[in-house]
Amino acid sequence: MIHFRRPLPQIERPQMEADVVIVGGGPSGMACALRLSQLIDDHNAKHPESQLTKENIYVLEKSRETAQHLLSGALLDPRSMRELLPGFEKEAPIDAEVVKEAVYFLTAKRKFKLPITPPPLRDHGNYVISINKFVKWMGEKVEAAGITVFNGFAGSELLIEGNRVIGVRTDDKGIDKEGNQKSNFEPGYDLKAKCVILAEGSRGSLTKQLVARFNLDKDRNPQTYGVGVKELWEVPNGRIAKGQVIYTMGYPLTTQEYGGAWIYGSKDNIVSLGYVTGLDYHDPRVDPQKILQQFKKHPFIAHLLEGGKMIRYGAKSLPYGGWFAVPPVAGDGWMILGDSAGFLNSQRLKGIHLAIKSGMLAAETAFEATTKSDFSKQQLSTYQTRVDNSWIKEELWPVRNFHQGFEHGMLEGMFHAGVQQVTGGRGLFERYESVPGHERLQTLNTLSPSGDDRAHMLGAAKGDGKLTFDKLTDVYHSGTKHEEDQPSHLVVHDTNICATRCTVEFGNPCQNFCPASVYEMEEAADVPGGKQLRINASNCVHCKTCDIMDPYQIITWVPPEGGGGPNYDGM
Amino acid sequence: MKILVCMKQVPQKDAPLKLNETGTWIREDVSYEVNEPDAYALEEALRQKEKHGGEVVVITAGPARSQQVLREGLAKGADSAIHLEDPGFVGLDAFNTAKAFAAAIKEENFDLIFTGLQSDDYGYAQTGVVLAEIMGWPHATIIMQIDKQDGGIKVKRELEAGFFQHVDMPLPAVLTIQSGINKLRYATLIGIKQAKNKPLRKVTMDEVRSSLGDNMQKIEKLYIPQKTKKTEMLTGSPAEIAKQLVEKLKNEVRVL
Repeated sequence: MIHFRRPLPQIERPQMEADVVIVGGGPSGMACALRLSQLIDDHNAKHPESQLTKENIYVLEKSRETAQHLLSGALLDPRSMRELLPGFEKEAPIDAEVVKEAVYFLTAKRKFKLPITPPPLRDHGNYVISINKFVKWMGEKVEAAGITVFNGFAGSELLIEGNRVIGVRTDDKGIDKEGNQKSNFEPGYDLKAKCVILAEGSRGSLTKQLVARFNLDKDRNPQTYGVGVKELWEVPNGRIAKGQVIYTMGYPLTTQEYGGAWIYGSKDNIVSLGYVTGLDYHDPRVDPQKILQQFKKHPFIAHLLEGGKMIRYGAKSLPYGGWFAVPPVAGDGWMILGDSAGFLNSQRLKGIHLAIKSGMLAAETAFEATTKSDFSKQQLSTYQTRVDNSWIKEELWPVRNFHQGFEHGMLEGMFHAGVQQVTGGRGLFERYESVPGHERLQTLNTLSPSGDDRAHMLGAAKGDGKLTFDKLTDVYHSGTKHEEDQPSHLVVHDTNICATRCTVEFGNPCQNFCPASVYEMEEAADVPGGKQLRINASNCVHCKTCDIMDPYQIITWVPPEGGGGPNYDGM
Repeated sequence: MKILVCMKQVPQKDAPLKLNETGTWIREDVSYEVNEPDAYALEEALRQKEKHGGEVVVITAGPARSQQVLREGLAKGADSAIHLEDPGFVGLDAFNTAKAFAAAIKEENFDLIFTGLQSDDYGYAQTGVVLAEIMGWPHATIIMQIDKQDGGIKVKRELEAGFFQHVDMPLPAVLTIQSGINKLRYATLIGIKQAKNKPLRKVTMDEVRSSLGDNMQKIEKLYIPQKTKKTEMLTGSPAEIAKQLVEKLKNEVRVL
């Protein structure tokens, strides 16, 4: 019997009052905190008679140290950082400036370089960064500004009163596997806030609660996602230039799946490479970690990595549903930022700059609300207006239909992208519809047992220990670590479905799409079907793929005990 | 009781380590954490304070980043902190670190000084013992349990092979605490917030320099071991294999 994590009912909880609580210390949350601090400092300098305090502004971050759960390529478009901290380049940890880029189309053995790099993928002027190092630096600035970052604390529940979000409950600590309090039990706090800002990243767990509670997805396209599986490598000198950017399309994916790879040359012969697989594939046997391993076996990539050493591994989902999938971003007592809102340009494969910008705009809104002591929907909705009038919309509107165009494969996608290019993003329809990715999964009886042209993508990666790795070896390199004695934070609402319907219909795809070997169907004598679900929750790297891709939508990812999770140092 | 807890900031256990340019230590760009044995020392100190009243002070030596371990100590319930802040403290041997600590606390009257058993990085297990020597105090290592008595304490030490030693000690004294003897508490939101306003005394290198001498121990060279493991397969019937194995254990490995 698996016990699942949920906030303990009917216990007395400590309370704390807050002005603004930012949930999530990623680029958007930290930018929000920094901008808010700047505005308060300016105000205090101009109005000595009515000082505002930063004392009660908090950032909640589930990782033990700032930025340890952040994973991205990453290329940074510096536009928003230049607005936030002019001249930031002088002190921020930037690994390289992009010097050359190329896009390749791969077949199983060959590569074809696109004669010109499509404009959206031109990256001159952008920087290669480690999002981990970069946001760690932002976090230091936030702390230095006098805003408290609570590391190791997750938001486990929204506190809602009527139509108003009135705060956040933090995670209960010290609960054992069976859900009982241990001797060092610490109940989660009820953090009462005038304004809760959700900056949880892709598929935020509180954002999900909020969207469901207030039907925020009404009249919107469903959000669609991809999962990026990444390895950081140290390669011999001369393999790739510092600041060199390579994108690939094609192999190992077929024309039916959406996705592609990135390879960025960083400093000290460090290479960031990863493969994004669209979480809207048909074949439930597809395994994104295997796809990355298969990709590395391509002669072009194998040569690049030969003699090198893999130093870190990780995975993270990313939202690429585009503008039509963005929910309302403000309401009574709340705002949503960055990836949680879906501010990501799927054509340019970039979202950090938009996340930062959205954080800044939310900060401006929260500041104004503070000076007026008004955190109502009407007041906070000026954040929506700010977004609509900013370059966030200017950038996302022309690509509003981009990803939907690819939902029926690459060839149609290319066609739609072309039409959209000459019609200002409109394409054939005003608004391209979309379906949630998990609905595209087909049952096994409709698929060829061998997988045909997908055969090379199916089955667990074995790994040679040099170029390619099995999943557990990769997971080890994510540095993920959790308190073992705690309830499962992967909440499966009906485990019977796993052993009965899912085994027959989809073959338990959780075992395939999870890049961290969390899910396992193990032999069990006394259950119907002879198999039961085992959850290795400690392996989890917090990518949220299961929450997104499970065909029955019975998995809910909730934050584990604060402090647990991957260690994405340098990622 | 007034208890000082010596805490160290060490690289996280799973951090990918790289050698620095001179090959004498690791590069600084890794994540750090509280040395785990010190966390148990802190927990024990907090429990003693809860039982008998008094005060807990945490101390560390290292660059600005190492303040994090003091913040953690304060957040969990320590009353004040002392930071010997200088990157130069990283390179000190156990003898000099102990001297620096002794110099920094000479104005204070502690009843007890706790350290973790050893550090996760250097693993000397010396600093606490040397500190006792410099202070002229008694010390005991690998402490499992501490009971306050009239005029002193009774401690339980872990020996080898499941044996324990019970010792009566006078105060003041230095104890190095065995890991795992208690269950670590979590820092709370209010604790973290209050920690910001607790006293933190900074001590510069200049203030203690006159107490320090030359390092008696230094790292000449650090290198990543070459893998030399060789696997040899023995073949034959079980009896023959057993015979070959005994032969090898006797003559090659010489453990029999």
